[in-house]
Amino acid sequence: MAHQTEHTTNHPSTKQYVTIAIILFAITIVEFLLIWDRVGIADDLGASKIPLLVALSAVKFAIVILFYMHLKFDNPFFLRVFVAGLTLAFLVGIAVISLFVGFEGKPRTFAQNTAVPYEEHAEKDSGEAVTGETGAKETDTPIMTGPVTLVVGVAGETLGFDTQSITAASGAEVTISVTNPSANNSHNLVIVKAGTKDAVAADGTAAGPTNDWVTPGDSRVIAHTKLLTPGVDGEVTFTAPAPGTYQFVCTFPGHNFTMFGDFVVN
Amino acid sequence: MAHAIEHEYTTTGLNHRKMLMWVFLGSDCLFFGSLIATYMVYRGQSLVGPYPVDIINVPVTTISTFVLLLSSFAMVQALAATHADNRRAIVGWLLATAFLGAIFIGFQIVEFNTFKNEGLTLGGNLFGATFFTLTGFHGAHVTLGIIWLVALAILGKKGRLGPNTALDVELCGLYWHFVDIVWIVIFTLLYLIGGFDAGPAPLGG
Ligand SMILES: [Cu+2]
Repeated sequence: MAHQTEHTTNHPSTKQYVTIAIILFAITIVEFLLIWDRVGIADDLGASKIPLLVALSAVKFAIVILFYMHLKFDNPFFLRVFVAGLTLAFLVGIAVISLFVGFEGKPRTFAQNTAVPYEEHAEKDSGEAVTGETGAKETDTPIMTGPVTLVVGVAGETLGFDTQSITAASGAEVTISVTNPSANNSHNLVIVKAGTKDAVAADGTAAGPTNDWVTPGDSRVIAHTKLLTPGVDGEVTFTAPAPGTYQFVCTFPGHNFTMFGDFVVN
Repeated sequence: MAHAIEHEYTTTGLNHRKMLMWVFLGSDCLFFGSLIATYMVYRGQSLVGPYPVDIINVPVTTISTFVLLLSSFAMVQALAATHADNRRAIVGWLLATAFLGAIFIGFQIVEFNTFKNEGLTLGGNLFGATFFTLTGFHGAHVTLGIIWLVALAILGKKGRLGPNTALDVELCGLYWHFVDIVWIVIFTLLYLIGGFDAGPAPLGG
């Protein structure tokens, strides 16, 4: 019983192989003609050419595995093994894509907007805390009233700052000194009103690097540094606004999702 | 050396090595499937150029696609020659397959170089990251296949390949054709469909 599977005598003949090769070539030519705008079909078809292209490549895929890889003639178990892997790959692909598309392509923003504070955690912290101050976050920076300089560093090559939160007193003259030790990345630091960091960054993207990735005259922006090229440090001085929580963020395109912190004004 | 592998006993009645190759190819589908899914997720999400429409050259890649399809044809001829015990044809078709694969890699090297000069890098934007990762791993598969083919051609030259050892050639062929079908998918998704993508849609407001 171990002998019957090999010696598949019904392999396609050379003539059939040539025919298959010609079919594969022909399909590829059709695919090319479908998308090449000088042919003129591409525009007429519009988006409907996408399922067509997918179908054509699926046909090529099937021809190669059935004939060139002999699955049409070989033991069906091999086909099942391969199709199992292929199916799993499809499922992984669908899972990954739907995970992202399902959140309008912005899973992180979605998570931030829909996050529910973890109550048990806060209770546990307050239970362990010596004083009754619940939920008070420690900050590295002490509160000052006079002119104050705060230092915020870029965390090496990562797209993040080394500080989660900085604090100043309302009305104080604040200088934020930003260090950028990265050898590759440019960054800036923009102080914005609470909850506006992503919107400011999105508009800043449109403003471009010549405006330091910040829209000129943006009313949500309190202050900002210049765009700091790799290895360059900079600072910005301004008067701390009314008490409340603001944000600092890097508006270099894409950085705003990980590169931000709170600016607390007392 | 050329023992009768085709008559070994297995519980399924199917050859172990061939089974192993199909299981590997099935799992390699998952590998490429994940990379392709990642490309699709980040498609059109790059905030800075170059975007596909700026640099993807569909006509040139169509030519390299033909080259890879042709190499699959040479591969089946190599297997047919092995069954026919035609030593010169075995070596010739194996080397022809390897040579066509090398031309494909040559196209890819030129392409990567051009893209690099036009500003597309692995760390520059999401398109660069996903494009180079996916096509780079495919190129690595092709390169491995070329090494395998050349090694087989050397064995063939020494007269070690024939009907009794046809499985050696067949397994390499399965791998080679698999690399070809992965390219069929990549070519359609990254070039024919994704090759005309521009930057992100302008943000409202
Ligand atoms: Cu940054």
